[in-house]
Amino acid sequence: MWSPEGGHKARPYTGRAPGMSTLDLFPSREAGLFGRRQKRTRGTRIPVYVVTGFLGSGKTTLVREFLKTPEGANTAVVINEFGAVGIDDALVRAATDEKTVLLGNGCVCCNTRSDLQVALRSLVADRERGAIPHFRRIVIETSGLADPGPILQTFASDRALGGEFHVEAAVTLVDAVSAQDTLEWSVEARKQIILADRLVITKTDLAPAPKVELLKDRLADLNPHASIETAVNGVIDPRLLFADRDEGAGTEDRNAFVAEAAHSDGIRSFVWTESAPISWEVFSRAMETLTALRGPDLLRAKGFLNVAGCAGPVIVQVAQHLMHTPVELQTWPGGERGTRVVFITRNIPEQAVRDLFAAVRALVPQDVSGR
Amino acid sequence: MPATESICTNFKLLAHHELDGFGGMGEGMAVQVAKDGRRIIWLAHESAPKNFTAVDVSDPRNPKMVVQTDLPQSFMRSNSLELTGDILAVAYQTQKVGQKPAGFELFDISVPENPKSIAFVDCSGPHSRGVHQLWFCDGEYVHMGAGAPDFEPTHPLDDQFYRCFDVRNPSKPVEAGRWWLPGTRKGDNTPPPARHQAPIFDRGNRAHNTNVYPQKPDRLYLAYIDAGMFIMDISDKANPKPIARWDNSPPYTGFTHTLVPLFERNLLIMTDESTMDEAKDWPKLIWVLDGRDESNPVPIATCPLPPHETFANRGGRFGAHNVFENTPGPHSWFSDQVIVGTFFNGGLRAYDISNPYQPKETAVFVPEAPRGSPAGAIQLNDVFIDERAIVYTVDRFSGGLYILEMDF
Repeated sequence: MWSPEGGHKARPYTGRAPGMSTLDLFPSREAGLFGRRQKRTRGTRIPVYVVTGFLGSGKTTLVREFLKTPEGANTAVVINEFGAVGIDDALVRAATDEKTVLLGNGCVCCNTRSDLQVALRSLVADRERGAIPHFRRIVIETSGLADPGPILQTFASDRALGGEFHVEAAVTLVDAVSAQDTLEWSVEARKQIILADRLVITKTDLAPAPKVELLKDRLADLNPHASIETAVNGVIDPRLLFADRDEGAGTEDRNAFVAEAAHSDGIRSFVWTESAPISWEVFSRAMETLTALRGPDLLRAKGFLNVAGCAGPVIVQVAQHLMHTPVELQTWPGGERGTRVVFITRNIPEQAVRDLFAAVRALVPQDVSGR
Repeated sequence: MPATESICTNFKLLAHHELDGFGGMGEGMAVQVAKDGRRIIWLAHESAPKNFTAVDVSDPRNPKMVVQTDLPQSFMRSNSLELTGDILAVAYQTQKVGQKPAGFELFDISVPENPKSIAFVDCSGPHSRGVHQLWFCDGEYVHMGAGAPDFEPTHPLDDQFYRCFDVRNPSKPVEAGRWWLPGTRKGDNTPPPARHQAPIFDRGNRAHNTNVYPQKPDRLYLAYIDAGMFIMDISDKANPKPIARWDNSPPYTGFTHTLVPLFERNLLIMTDESTMDEAKDWPKLIWVLDGRDESNPVPIATCPLPPHETFANRGGRFGAHNVFENTPGPHSWFSDQVIVGTFFNGGLRAYDISNPYQPKETAVFVPEAPRGSPAGAIQLNDVFIDERAIVYTVDRFSGGLYILEMDF
């Protein structure tokens, strides 16, 4: 009790055991296993679009055209040349002039050769102190020779950029005139396509229609999961590229791993689908084992899980050895519950992943609460 | 950042209504669903000439004024109102002690176009300015920060204290109890409390928000301006007793405004009020307290704000004021994961407190300066959220009502 004379009279300490989460200390019926259920995967993080594509594919033209549209207002563009030096090379920290330039339409642009994390955090700091317009999204335009893998990985960890930013889509531009030849010899070009969420074929006005159709087939073969659009003179409906993703697209082929593509680099993609709820412990333990043993070859795994004990879908994303913090959404898209995760791997057979999940499942008691 | 620029992140603006040119709004916001099914939001004005305005928000994209009433005197302000069912309680405060009418009034709003007075309670007196703030959510008691004819403070700024009126017979309200900070009434055995630095930071030891919730009807969550906050035992309404107190000032600059308990989470949300232009009393914050030991609330976090220099000179005040208080009632939202607060020219901001140690800003709405605003910038004063999760926020001077949807 408090009194004006005595102040607070202490009560005996009733401490709790260590290792409890904040949800255990301060429980809430509103929160699920993964905290507050979100309306969308990115929650309230700043959406980021990574625009990549081989040299001359038209990245700059496309981004420039987008910035002129009403939908493109309040966009920050980062021209990132980091990727030009390759995945595992040390960062080149040049003493370049990295000023932020104000464009029209509430947009800004900055050029960075050094640390992408520094560039993005500086943009946010400048925005918060009112030095630049209040941008609502970031478009990262990579070098033509870039492997987008390391950039996507940067967003996988909360300690890096994943806590504040969310890659809404990796968009890869493909030159209709030269792509077929480029894909024959360039590993980076194939990687840019395999890791894309959205593919845009450019310069279709300069290539004959049958060539464009053959290219579409090739792209679909390399990446069956990405949408494929075409741009003419850099013009494309911006909503096709820079809008929130449809989380629920494609829930066919339940109760199966679906092997869909295999490539000469040993890169393959397959989809794991399942109707029955899965225990979070089974999924997380299996993925821990997979990333520990073959992290560098697990290029990307993403999708949504039907986790036992969760009302909404749980969005999971893994980039090599890093797993994004899972997010539970408020509702199932289309009302249909079911797990669907796309795996993009290098030399990891689909059967091996299937066997791993089965082995973990056999060892972990099935707990319907998901805990 | 100039006041002509606006920010709208993770909110969607549905409508804006300037309330026919009388858009200076206070801290009274409450939603009624009338007998004919219309959803009406009742809003208290910040100062004369208007008393309260009712707006039909059945379609939140197309708000329509229903009624707008006048105060009888230019030295009055209503500023605060609440309702239960079809009974509306409105506070009346005067500019100076001794002026009349000062107190609170109950209205029958069953016909929203024609509010009818049921009772007026006189709280005027030689040392009283009437009622600043009231809380009426259970249909039985009106809790308020008010003066009284028989109360003489030891310092003129300490003229309002906690009072409770039984309105179970709404035509004959009866005072059920009162409590004041010991030492603030002449004749107290306790010496007067220490004061914050005059003149700028001495705002007075007065009751401000007086919140009572059905989850714990024997508890009052009392904000007491420069005396901090109190958790009171009101199981005996005639004799409220303090259980706990926490005061962040000094070193902060006082003006504790609101205390909201989040019962299931054992958390408390407390707001300061920014009362000075150009953020001269910065920082004014929203605080998160660990309430697991009711007698010893412990601050664990504050909700982050943009840098001082971004908004301090934008015009008017910059800093915390009020939050959505999880007002009890069937037409009110509830959340113990998201806090939504108003920050004057800092706009409306929502915070995710799923990890209460690290509140995260999740949404921001800063509209451009309203027409005719003497502050030259938006001054969002208060916020209410209905059970449809539609957000209503009001400007202090001229902007009127903004209606938004949460997009997170």
